[in-house]
Amino acid sequence: MLAFSQSRTITGKVVDASGQSPLPGVTVQVKGATIGTQTKVDGSYSLNVPGGAVTLVYTFVGYKTTEMPVGTSNTINISLAADVTALKDVVVVGYGTQKKQEVTSAITSIEPTDFRQSGARNALDLVQGKVAGLQITRTGGSNPNTSPAVQLRGVTSLTGSMSPLIVIDGIPGGNLDLLQQDDIASISVLKDGSAAAIYGTQANGGVIIVTTKKGVKGPARVTYNNYFRKEYKARLPKFLTPDEYAAKIADGEINATDKGYRTDFVDLLVNHDNLTQNHNLAFSGGSEQSSYRASVYYLNQEGILKANERQQYGGRLSITSKGLNDRLTSQFNLATNFNKANLLTDGGNLQGYYTFNPTYSPYNPDGSWYFEQTSTNELARINQQTDIRQQQTTSGDAKVSLDIVKGLKASIFGSVTRDSYSEGSYANLLSELSVENYDSTGYAFQSSFLNIKYAVEPTLEYNITVNKNHNFSLIGGYSYRYEVEQYFDAGNYGFVNDIFQENNLGAGNMLLTGKANMSSYKNDNKLIAFFGRINYNYKDKYMASVILRHEGSSRFGANNKWGNFPALSVGWNMRDEPFMQDVTFLDDLKLRAGYGVTGNSGINNYSSLVTMGTGGNYLNPDGVWRQTYGPNKNPNPNLKWEKKSEYNVGVDFSFFKGRLSGAVDVYKRITKDLLENVTTQLPPFVTNSIYANVGQVSSKGVEITLSGVTVRTKDFSWNVDVAFSNSKNTLDRYSNDLYTIKYQSYADIGGYGALGNAIRTYEGDRIGNFYGKRFAGLTDSGDWLFYKADGTKAPADQLDSEKDFKVIGNAVPKVYLSFTNTFKYKNFDLRAFFRGKFGYNILNTMEMFYGSKASLPSNVLETAFTKNGKITGGYQYSDYYIEKGNFMKLDELTLGYTVPFKSKKTFQNLRLYVTASNLWLITKYSGNDPDYVRDTGLKPGVDALNASDDRTPYMGTRGFMFGLNVGF
Amino acid sequence: MYPFKTCRMKRFKKIAVYTSLALLPVLANSCTNLDEKAYDTLLTNNFYNNKNEVVSAVLRPYTHANAWITPGQSGWWRLSELSADQLAWPQKGRHGYDNGQWIRLHYHTWTVDESTVLNCWNLLWTGLGFCNDAIGNIEGRDAAKMGLTQEEKDGFTGELRLLRAFHYLRLMDIYGNIPIVTTVGEPVSPETKTRAEVFSFIEQEIKDNIDKSPNLSKALLGRMSKAGGYAMLAEMYLNAEKWSGTARWDDCIAACDALINSTAGGMNGALVLDTNLTDTYKPNNDLSKEIIFSIAYDYIISNFSPQWTGDFYHFNQGQINGNPINGNDGVVVIPGVYTTFEDADKRKKEWLLIGPQWKYGSADTLPVICSGGNEYDGKQLVFVDNIRKNAQGSTVSDMTQGEENSGVRFNKYRLGPLTDPSYRSCDWAVYRLSWIYFVKAEAIMRKNGGVATQEAVDLVNTIKKRAYSAADWPAHQYTTTTLTMDELLAELGREFIFEGYRRQELIRFGKYTTGTWWDHNASEAYRELFPIPRTQLQLNANLKQNDGYPN
Repeated sequence: MLAFSQSRTITGKVVDASGQSPLPGVTVQVKGATIGTQTKVDGSYSLNVPGGAVTLVYTFVGYKTTEMPVGTSNTINISLAADVTALKDVVVVGYGTQKKQEVTSAITSIEPTDFRQSGARNALDLVQGKVAGLQITRTGGSNPNTSPAVQLRGVTSLTGSMSPLIVIDGIPGGNLDLLQQDDIASISVLKDGSAAAIYGTQANGGVIIVTTKKGVKGPARVTYNNYFRKEYKARLPKFLTPDEYAAKIADGEINATDKGYRTDFVDLLVNHDNLTQNHNLAFSGGSEQSSYRASVYYLNQEGILKANERQQYGGRLSITSKGLNDRLTSQFNLATNFNKANLLTDGGNLQGYYTFNPTYSPYNPDGSWYFEQTSTNELARINQQTDIRQQQTTSGDAKVSLDIVKGLKASIFGSVTRDSYSEGSYANLLSELSVENYDSTGYAFQSSFLNIKYAVEPTLEYNITVNKNHNFSLIGGYSYRYEVEQYFDAGNYGFVNDIFQENNLGAGNMLLTGKANMSSYKNDNKLIAFFGRINYNYKDKYMASVILRHEGSSRFGANNKWGNFPALSVGWNMRDEPFMQDVTFLDDLKLRAGYGVTGNSGINNYSSLVTMGTGGNYLNPDGVWRQTYGPNKNPNPNLKWEKKSEYNVGVDFSFFKGRLSGAVDVYKRITKDLLENVTTQLPPFVTNSIYANVGQVSSKGVEITLSGVTVRTKDFSWNVDVAFSNSKNTLDRYSNDLYTIKYQSYADIGGYGALGNAIRTYEGDRIGNFYGKRFAGLTDSGDWLFYKADGTKAPADQLDSEKDFKVIGNAVPKVYLSFTNTFKYKNFDLRAFFRGKFGYNILNTMEMFYGSKASLPSNVLETAFTKNGKITGGYQYSDYYIEKGNFMKLDELTLGYTVPFKSKKTFQNLRLYVTASNLWLITKYSGNDPDYVRDTGLKPGVDALNASDDRTPYMGTRGFMFGLNVGF
Repeated sequence: MYPFKTCRMKRFKKIAVYTSLALLPVLANSCTNLDEKAYDTLLTNNFYNNKNEVVSAVLRPYTHANAWITPGQSGWWRLSELSADQLAWPQKGRHGYDNGQWIRLHYHTWTVDESTVLNCWNLLWTGLGFCNDAIGNIEGRDAAKMGLTQEEKDGFTGELRLLRAFHYLRLMDIYGNIPIVTTVGEPVSPETKTRAEVFSFIEQEIKDNIDKSPNLSKALLGRMSKAGGYAMLAEMYLNAEKWSGTARWDDCIAACDALINSTAGGMNGALVLDTNLTDTYKPNNDLSKEIIFSIAYDYIISNFSPQWTGDFYHFNQGQINGNPINGNDGVVVIPGVYTTFEDADKRKKEWLLIGPQWKYGSADTLPVICSGGNEYDGKQLVFVDNIRKNAQGSTVSDMTQGEENSGVRFNKYRLGPLTDPSYRSCDWAVYRLSWIYFVKAEAIMRKNGGVATQEAVDLVNTIKKRAYSAADWPAHQYTTTTLTMDELLAELGREFIFEGYRRQELIRFGKYTTGTWWDHNASEAYRELFPIPRTQLQLNANLKQNDGYPN
């Protein structure tokens, strides 16, 4: 044996394969021995190796582990290639991570490089259109003070929470305000029940797990990211221009007075100088024993409208350390967000100004503001009122893990999230609000809010391999969560001047007369659970996972506080089977199947109890007016969980050396015991409704994710990523043993003429069915005619809603499709992200209310005189206004340039980019941007419903952004 | 190295064991406790512990009665007035179509799914449920434990039973055949009783409790009392022929006399008629001498104010009244009703609003200008006694052809200007003595074969005289010849316009379903009762639909 030959010293340098910059901190080891060292700042190393050494192993986080044979030379220089797949190979699942090839349920993980890049107003904006089956809809448009509506795989509840559970670094129910896009390492979406069951009663809407960036071993690194964005008006409804309107007064088509002004009212509210800027500065680094990452940010968002801003700053700190000979690991995270929001503009409130007679002026001839009782002068409002909310959100969490013996690890996780705000608003003495409602004495208001969430979750993990090939991974735990919320507000008027604003509420006169107002509330709830999971893996070929969560919530009836949520899933990696060895074009093929039960506890606190409600003041015999009390609810001690059971079958594949990869999932989910306020017998009960478990909804669908490398050459590459989903969501039943309801109506159109509900869903129908009259033409005088059930035509008042009304459309898109084209040419990159929805209808309320002469002499859409010019009848809801909503938009177009540095001494990397968002929209829909129309929940598809005035949406925008990413 | 490591390990194991042991009892106690703690809500089982709590439960049905007895919500008032011959809520341009519900009320074409009909049912039965709940809780508890004397306890339950009878009375008026429920939740599906059975139940309840209830006094402003009990009996017996099948004219007269003779107390001294047309309706009408039972408001002290402004007021009405209260431009007087008032009749000017409108306090110099983008935007508000599209020169007049200024308007109750010390505090009279005079007169005439006696004429003239000047009066007073039944119906209409009784009157006079007025044609006889709402029929198999309506 030559083993005892002389040892020698090998030196060399390790560099990055792409940029040839030196890599410090790389571990260099002799294979099969404990001898090793690390590279220095300049990437160099020197290692004394025994004579028998055959191979050196180079490992570094984020790079492919590389082995080099030890030859005769005493110098080994090597370049390490970045390991793009290494990070992606690990998927974050509930209470842990899993290797991607071991995952047996439907989980989609999105990395920062795939994030939607248009300046997120909310962390979830980053994944809009990126996850098949996850609908994220910005009903508030580009309003910086709104969050999107989120729904995964259809409606799962009627009255409870429908949104996915957000878990941030293990904090259940995490606060999205605490997430900045530059701090996020990955967003993982647990789509099916077999994955989500570990989160039990909060997982009916799915689970979104966000992991933030952590420090890595190595010298200190600094990164700085910024962007600047400017927004422009887009797709505004076409109301008559001032000149057109005046012309129609002149020729007698509009019966109104021409006051001689020509005012573009809505434009007066536009903040033409808007500029949004974001800065994020992060420091990170670490040693073998500990690592850290700290970031600070400043984000100032200005909406397209005046008095519509959100200014935020804050930071995030993460420390990981090891002790007790690496047996004890601890991880601490601290994040905080301070924000100051100008809420005065609310969601836009544009209706009044769109419809205002444009020959008027917002000012009186003497320069004072023009007011009238029946409208609001919005420009005056934003000049004479204030409404500022100052919010602070902080979360801290810690996880300490101890390796007790080999394979057995005990951990305890604790977190607290505190969210509080103080809001103040004031209306000047001379403001319209004050003049018309508060006797011209001003109005001051303050409110404060505090919500605290605690979680403690001890867990025990055990990993063992039996007979070499049977791998078991077990986790068991207990979860205790407590949430408490309180609120206080007070308002007063009767001020003598505007000096105090809302800062001296007691000075208002109305405290003495009892007209000042004050209110407060406080409530809490508890969630307690025991949970466990066993993952089994045989030779990485056959996998199985079993989950059980036993959970209780204080919100449920005394008889049904606790529920069980089991799940089972299996997977089969076929690639490794002998019979697949000859299929050379195949890289990977995995079949998955899962079944899981989850629940929903997202209901109001104290829902099962009988409470005494206030009934207003009444005169007591002693002459004092006191509050009255009476029962305000019917009790339901049997109130229990909504339970969803879901089947999911999927396949993950990769072909042609990664040129084509993706996943296909097929699911069916049934949610039973849906909670709804059902009508009770009245008499004998006091109120006519009871909160009870009655209904069942189900949905089924297909989700396809594809990723293809179309072209790959040395200088040029073109990748295409596609996300497709198709689903059908039905309301199967709406009754139980006690209560029977034939249908339920949603989406109150409201407004002038009280047109009732747009959507009616009978048992067995798809969710989101428009139900109403069918247009049958006009009478000679222009009045409406509609079809009766027997096919004859009749005016509106002769129709029976039970017999003559029909399903006239559906508001839930059947198909969601998005695709990303990424081009790279040398140092340039170009990304075009298209997103669309297909196979659904929208009720065009814009046409219904403003495309009608019935609206005159308020300003109307041009179509009132063109397309709808012959209609003389009043407002009617019918299929005349139901349109196809199909659209596809170029949501994001980004052009980037990465500056090539010869030396990386100062700069690690520098990338500059420009992004245009909402650049191009293809649709036949004639109303507002269909992208902002709600497509989630039970009242989808009614244009601008759920906007601040339920009539006109927040102003459509197109944004242009410039940004840079730099690393030192 | 080894010894040190082992030692550290051992120590750590120790710590872990002790920590676990220490945590164990903590976890065992609290780790599965899911009891709820209510911080800001009252739970029913810890209420009724002192007098203030009891009173607050006794008064709950009254604030609720505001919802169904007064205009402003779809309760008893809207069904009673908007289906009759004096008032309507026509569509006015883009406003007021409201899914056709007001049109169907006017045409008598309401359906079993009608929201106005369902809403009235829900409001009334919920109010009745508040009575049942409070009666059950108070009767079931020891007086001393609630901090009451036995007398106070009996007074409260007597009052509540009368108030419950009042709910039943008005339910019977609208729906006829209804269940009788006296305990919350029992039975779960109560069965329909005939109108006659309901009638006897109500009569018995009133008789059993009228003497236990306190006399009317200022302290009982806005509350049910012995006087209210007699007024209910008067209403019951006046309509007894229709409601129970048996005429009760003498009982009716006796109940009226108990009030006319002021045997059951009064709100401000003895119960007597107010001497003018305004005292009953003015902002401080708590000083009225003739109101028997009212819903009491006090905006100044307690923020509780009339809800009817939404139904009656134009979008710019506040300027007329010198306050900021506007409405939805809803209920108007049907064309032709205005002219049934003689010009000498002061009620015509005092209680109704017509013609050009002027800003409050401007002595008819500053016009009220319409705003809000409707037909007369920018022009003076002028109420007209017709319902048609005058701005377009149209003469078509029906329920869909209104404009923002269509119809003569309500001006009976007054909020007063902002500066009024009783601003927005006028109580809504449910029963007033003038009405009892008419009830007695009608009972006498019907007992007399539909012919007026001098006593009946005197009763009616006593009320009518207030509306005329001394000079005009002789020419306008009734005689036994001129006070025919038809004339009595017309005079009821003039005196009690807006007060909610019109449907009841038309039914008693046999005109509700046979008569025609403005845009209304005669309807089916079964329309004298409203249907039992279909949603309730579907839930409760023991309910029976009224004749003529589909199940």
